[in-house]
Amino acid sequence: MSDIKALNEAVIKGDIQTAVSLTQNAVDAGTKAQEVLDQGLIAAMDQVGDKFAKGEMFVPQMLRSAKAMQECLKLIKPQFQEGDLTSKGKVVIGTVKGDLHDIGKNLVAMMMEGAGFTITDLGVDISADTFVQKVQEVEPDILAMSALLSTTMPGMRETIETLQKAGIKDKVMVMIGGAPVTANFASEIKADAYAPDAGSAVIEAKKVLGIS
Amino acid sequence: MKPMEIPTFQPRLKVLNRDQTLAIHAAALEILDKTGFKMEHPDAREILVDAGCRILNNDWLRMPSYLVEEALRSAPTQITLYDQKGNKTMPLANGNFFYGTGSDATFTLDLETGDRRRAVKKDVGNFARLVDGLENIAFAMSMGNPEDVPIEYIYVYVFAEMVKNTNKPIVFIADSGKDIAKIYDIACQVAGSEDALQRKPFILNYSEAISPLRFPENVMERLMFCAEKKIPVCFPSGSNAGGGAPVTLAGAMALGIAENLVGLVVHQLVGKGSPFLFGPNVSTLDMKSSVVSYGCPEWSLTQAALADMRDEIYGLPIWAFAGASDAKVMDAQAGAEAMFSIITALLSRSNLIHDVGFLEYGSTSCLEMVTMANELISMSRFFADGIPVTDQTLAIDAIERVARGEPGSIFLTDDHTFENFMQSLFLPQLLDRSRYDSWKSAGAMDFYNRCNLEAKRILSEHQVVPKPDEVLKRINEILQNL
Repeated sequence: MSDIKALNEAVIKGDIQTAVSLTQNAVDAGTKAQEVLDQGLIAAMDQVGDKFAKGEMFVPQMLRSAKAMQECLKLIKPQFQEGDLTSKGKVVIGTVKGDLHDIGKNLVAMMMEGAGFTITDLGVDISADTFVQKVQEVEPDILAMSALLSTTMPGMRETIETLQKAGIKDKVMVMIGGAPVTANFASEIKADAYAPDAGSAVIEAKKVLGIS
Repeated sequence: MKPMEIPTFQPRLKVLNRDQTLAIHAAALEILDKTGFKMEHPDAREILVDAGCRILNNDWLRMPSYLVEEALRSAPTQITLYDQKGNKTMPLANGNFFYGTGSDATFTLDLETGDRRRAVKKDVGNFARLVDGLENIAFAMSMGNPEDVPIEYIYVYVFAEMVKNTNKPIVFIADSGKDIAKIYDIACQVAGSEDALQRKPFILNYSEAISPLRFPENVMERLMFCAEKKIPVCFPSGSNAGGGAPVTLAGAMALGIAENLVGLVVHQLVGKGSPFLFGPNVSTLDMKSSVVSYGCPEWSLTQAALADMRDEIYGLPIWAFAGASDAKVMDAQAGAEAMFSIITALLSRSNLIHDVGFLEYGSTSCLEMVTMANELISMSRFFADGIPVTDQTLAIDAIERVARGEPGSIFLTDDHTFENFMQSLFLPQLLDRSRYDSWKSAGAMDFYNRCNLEAKRILSEHQVVPKPDEVLKRINEILQNL
């Protein structure tokens, strides 16, 4: 148990090497993978999320913690049966057509991954059809779209309309964000959630899925 | 006796020594030659390969330094912008500096309610009119992405709105080769003809690559359009420390300069001798909120450094920012950050200085903030003019007259004071120095309130010389046929 606490601390500190070796120790000592995941990794990332929200941690530190978690996860993954590994939810994410900016989108993807979501990152310049095709393929809980340029915002509306035409708008929560995007625009185009930045993206994602 | 003639030293800021400037430049050249860059415009790629760039793979190219040297030689060292009536108002060269507003804010602070709301077309007009009426604001940018115009042609609409509300030069944004052609049409109508616009340009295009090292097709389309038409252009990618670029300022500058140099090389290959305003935007990505900061000291520092590199190496006029803030309202933070960037941009003699009047890291525009900046620029300008030392300013005679004069002699009544106080002193208009009681009885207004009243006064009283009906008619036709 003390190892789990140390693992918890290592993840919060972003000490990848220590976190990985503590995870390996726990696995070798026969600790249940679910316990390592829940109490060691996800609990640590919850704390990281809190600290970040309070301004006690900086973005690179938070991302390092997320990376530490991912590295540890690789070690315990084989112990789970296919589909057994609990995830907060599946997210398909991308920057809309005509927009090649990806810093904000990447940040959202990494923070959501750190918070326990499974991410399918489609990249930048993604057309409405591609978004919809991927939603059909991956069946995510959330479709997240980003735009930095105001001229590319209509791509979000188009994607939602294409989802409607395909009859799957109700099967996925659509979340949008990016510098020119506003809450009003989100409700205007019938998106389910809007997040002004990466930190609130995680909070909003949990909110629309009804999880803590 | 011959009057004393001592040249007046005008305070200048220097933040890099020569070795530092050369090392950053060398790093930029190394990035282009070794890492290369992603050129997504097929014609631009072909032009670059024909000129001597090597293909790394697919659309990644490597650029040899001699192409940079050639482009730096052919780009003009002076860019002159004219106002819309053909007067030479902005010679961008040497130590000349000009301030103007910024573009593309999603929100604005309402002048009546003080509330933050989405920008509309009328706001763009109001900002342009305010700029027209403010002495120290030399050029206009849109200050808004209005929600009440068709988004596909948003930049054409805001350009038309600016043209209708100011006669000062305009720095404009476009999306692609398509809308920039419409904007160009409008500009030609205003100038009288394509030839008149080329001889006396009142427009400058702002375009940006994506850091790190990515050159999208639509961006290059605009750049090449401007090169062909000889429209002055700037090409500052957002190589922000920790965001699009490494977190260390030297590396962020090297990357941003490398990106600028790619733009310059393509630009000069397409339109040899066309005007190119040099310089990246090197701010920082805030490590807590991940916004690109508009109030940080880093951006002021990197553009002062760029001014040193201009003086040591490039010799081209440069692009800069000032008078903006990360504050959400026009508070003490907004004043502090605005003044910091205004005076440092001036002291380093940045040439074209945009973004005056932004709050909330460039997301919200504020008329009062532009009005405040106008005063802060006056104050900075006064400081940068230095202290003229002449017989007249040393005023030995006046000292003798007052010190040894009749009892009751004071400087305030001396002719020397009467004749010189207007030029010798900074006389504030909005900064308050009144005595407490008079301040109180005048409403105990803070700076924000005074700027609010002044902005309202200018918007209601200032007359913008209107464009001829024929020109307005043609502009409206262009808008209707979009």
